[in-house]
Amino acid sequence: MTEPIIQMKNIEKHFGSVIALGGVSLDLVPGECHCLLGDNGAGKSTLIKTLSGVYKPSAGEIYFEGHPMNFDFPRDAIKAGIATVYQDLAMIPLMSVSRNFFMGNEPMKKIGPISFFDHRHANEVTMGEMRKFGINLRGPDQAVGTLSGGERQTVAIARAMYFGAKVLILDEPTSALGVRQTSNVLATVDKVRNDGIAVVFITHNVRHALAVGDLFTVLNRGTTLGTAMRGEITPEELQDMMAGGQELATLEGSIGGTV
Amino acid sequence: MKAMFKFLAVTTIIAVIALGTFVAPAMAEGEKFVFIYHSPDSDSWWNVIKNAIKNAEKDMGVTVDVRNPPTGDLADMARIVEQTVASKPDGMIVTIADFDVLSKPIRSAVETGIPVITVNSGTHEQSAKLGAMLHIGQPEYDAGLAGGRRAKTDGITNFVCVNHQIQNAPLTERCRGFADGLGVDLGKSMIDVGGDPAEVKNRVKAYLRAHKDVQAILCLGPSSADPTIAALDEMGLAGEVYVGTFDMSGAIADGIKSGAVKWAIDQQPYLQGYLPVVLLSAYTRYGVQVPHNVNSGPGFITKDNIEKVAKLAGEYR
Amino acid sequence: MLSWLNQTEILGTIMSDLTADERLKEVSTIRKAMIRPELGAICGAILVFAFFLLVAGDSGMFSPEGIQNWTIVSAQFVIIATGACLLMIAGEFDLSVGSMIGFAGIIVAILSVQWGWPIWVSILVSFALCVGLGAVNGFIVIKTGLPSFIVTLAFLYILRGLTIWLSILTTRKTIIGGVRDLAEGDWLAPVFGGVILKDFFQWLGDVGVLETFSRGSRVGQPVVAGVPMLVVWAIVLIFFGHVLLTRTRFGNWIFASGGDKLAARYVGVPVNRVKVLMFMFTAFCATVFAICQVMEFGSAAADRGILKEFEAIICVVIGGALLTGGYGSVIGAAIGALIFGVVQQGLFFSGAESSLFRVFLGVILLAAVILNTYIRRMITGEK
Repeated sequence: MTEPIIQMKNIEKHFGSVIALGGVSLDLVPGECHCLLGDNGAGKSTLIKTLSGVYKPSAGEIYFEGHPMNFDFPRDAIKAGIATVYQDLAMIPLMSVSRNFFMGNEPMKKIGPISFFDHRHANEVTMGEMRKFGINLRGPDQAVGTLSGGERQTVAIARAMYFGAKVLILDEPTSALGVRQTSNVLATVDKVRNDGIAVVFITHNVRHALAVGDLFTVLNRGTTLGTAMRGEITPEELQDMMAGGQELATLEGSIGGTV
Repeated sequence: MKAMFKFLAVTTIIAVIALGTFVAPAMAEGEKFVFIYHSPDSDSWWNVIKNAIKNAEKDMGVTVDVRNPPTGDLADMARIVEQTVASKPDGMIVTIADFDVLSKPIRSAVETGIPVITVNSGTHEQSAKLGAMLHIGQPEYDAGLAGGRRAKTDGITNFVCVNHQIQNAPLTERCRGFADGLGVDLGKSMIDVGGDPAEVKNRVKAYLRAHKDVQAILCLGPSSADPTIAALDEMGLAGEVYVGTFDMSGAIADGIKSGAVKWAIDQQPYLQGYLPVVLLSAYTRYGVQVPHNVNSGPGFITKDNIEKVAKLAGEYR
Repeated sequence: MLSWLNQTEILGTIMSDLTADERLKEVSTIRKAMIRPELGAICGAILVFAFFLLVAGDSGMFSPEGIQNWTIVSAQFVIIATGACLLMIAGEFDLSVGSMIGFAGIIVAILSVQWGWPIWVSILVSFALCVGLGAVNGFIVIKTGLPSFIVTLAFLYILRGLTIWLSILTTRKTIIGGVRDLAEGDWLAPVFGGVILKDFFQWLGDVGVLETFSRGSRVGQPVVAGVPMLVVWAIVLIFFGHVLLTRTRFGNWIFASGGDKLAARYVGVPVNRVKVLMFMFTAFCATVFAICQVMEFGSAAADRGILKEFEAIICVVIGGALLTGGYGSVIGAAIGALIFGVVQQGLFFSGAESSLFRVFLGVILLAAVILNTYIRRMITGEK
């Protein structure tokens, strides 16, 4: 059992009088995919933003590689190796894959006193990395807009990996994707996990979670309802925990089927 | 995709042919002259000159292209003059809206052998310096001076100048001349009312309310006179305030008849359009040249001579 | 609900399928070279030249003076279109460019003619003031979050009013002349108003390749004296803008700021800095335009530059840029400016009614946008 790379102890986050997180504890271990489940409004996004430096916790501690963590800006978290891929702002569709890949980390080459964008290096690396993740581009100039939603998520994940992410947080990556594209992304997550990265996979879709997850934590109204390991829990139990059980049972009764 | 390209190709070819035939200039046997003026498209004062030019074209059997910078930007006008020089017409008629900006292009025309007559804006000295054959116009300052002196003899001691084209230097010269004729300092007696008629009216009203002791108003053309007359009407001051104006329009003619306007200074733009074409035709064909400048104005239009003028206002007067 | 083992098998097959995606067509090299953002503008330029060769071929349009005439007008547009292009790609507009042209010119004239400062000082002060104003534009846009359209529209009025008021306040006129005499002997003035390669063109005149004046004060001089600095500035700015946009890291940031500023910010692109700098660059271009004009004509006027900002935007759009930002080309904008200049002057050469210029321009604009939209969709996969 490897040491956890991130330990969150009793994290609380208040926005004025609203308690978004009321004491959440979570451990992230390299090489494991930890699924964070919960219905809308459960606090998943807030927890993740606290982890990636967007928010500072109102109470509680976070340890990163054994040291207490105190990020002032998201950029610091990225530099430390915590990368987040958001559902809707992974890529800029009008720009090429290569430009997107190296956005903010552009490789430079000097001609005389002036530094230029090293396109050749960027293109080589991009094509290579994309191949590793199973995406074959027509050329490095191909615009991200020509890729499917799942492929775009994969590019974002590949980018995070290339730039040294140790922890990869995926915020609802499959929520807007079709069946095939979802499988693409899950395959990517599998690969990343096998490369020894700690993955946090946020979703409200139990089936997707069970496809790749090693650990499952359910959040409900700002608190955890516990963490289960793969095999210890059934999909129905997970679903019940997410929705609070009662309401879903009544709903299923009236529809006459499973949600 | 292929269909799109085909569609575009066909439309383009049709458009090119259509525009080509449409745009190809009428083949006139006569000489080709170019008339370039400085005002933006929105200034309707030039209609009289354009009509005069049309008459001259017919009478002389020549073609005259009329050009101007659409926004009134004199830098654009300089480019138009340069372009005209490059197209080598038989003669060029141009206004000296700004001597500095236009001197080089106009001189180029003269030095390439194109005969040039200057009209409207500009002084006799400037016209001579550029090498033009002659100047046909109304010296702005002198016209203003004549108006000011006339107002002085009528007992006026102060005035306001309603300026609708504040960036047009010659117009300001009219105000200055009037002020000098009246014996006062131009100082704060000139207001910028913009070019929009509704704006002009409102600003004049505001000024009159704020300065109740104004005795006279000088308007610089129909664009400032028409709204001013309307403003005075609405305020019930028509006939109470001494109004003098430059140029002529339907509203100004009515104003003179009713007494709302005392006099109009007519620079007789018809002559500024008609005469240059006639003189250029004569020069090109027979080599004859008028050896001095021609003043097209000032002519004072008052109640005494308004009848004939009113009939043709806006068209030929 | 399948078991875990079956899942991995399926995922494995999908991964290998991805290596040979039947959806990707083989694209020929010619097609790849042709489908680029500037394609629409290039087609437009070819069509426009063909049209005027047809209609005005013998009108003097393609004589040396004719070429000089529309080249200068095009160069004017190139200068402001370059600034407008980079700013539009960064996701913003500057509608105060025209007013700034008037303002910059009047400042130089007031400082030198009225206050007696040396021309080079007046020019530098004008640059400093205008670039500073560009920065102010940028900061207001960023701090308030208002659309730049609105903020710069306000400055369009503010600057124009200030220009007219300042010139009347100091000189009682709105045209300030006398700059030409003061510019004699100044070291900075020729950088904007000068003409280069004079000797080369004189030689062309001497050997008879180029026509010369037959009478007047310039007997023996070639009808085209040389290459005006306005054209040199245009070429320099095209080169600078294109290299900056496509070959530098900052250029990547420009695309990103306009493409999706939140995504860009997230990966650390300093979006605010990029936008403010682009506003300053647009102001710089406007000032270059203004100073070149003032030096060439020897005077400044309060009404210079009216509506030029819209004309610049039209050039940029004809050149293939997307109005909402994130996509465009400086070369395209330059070709758009060339088209604009050729059409504007060409219609005079062809003898058409000058009001037709607007009709023609509107048609070209529409056709260019339609064509550019198709090309862009092909490139970026936009729906």
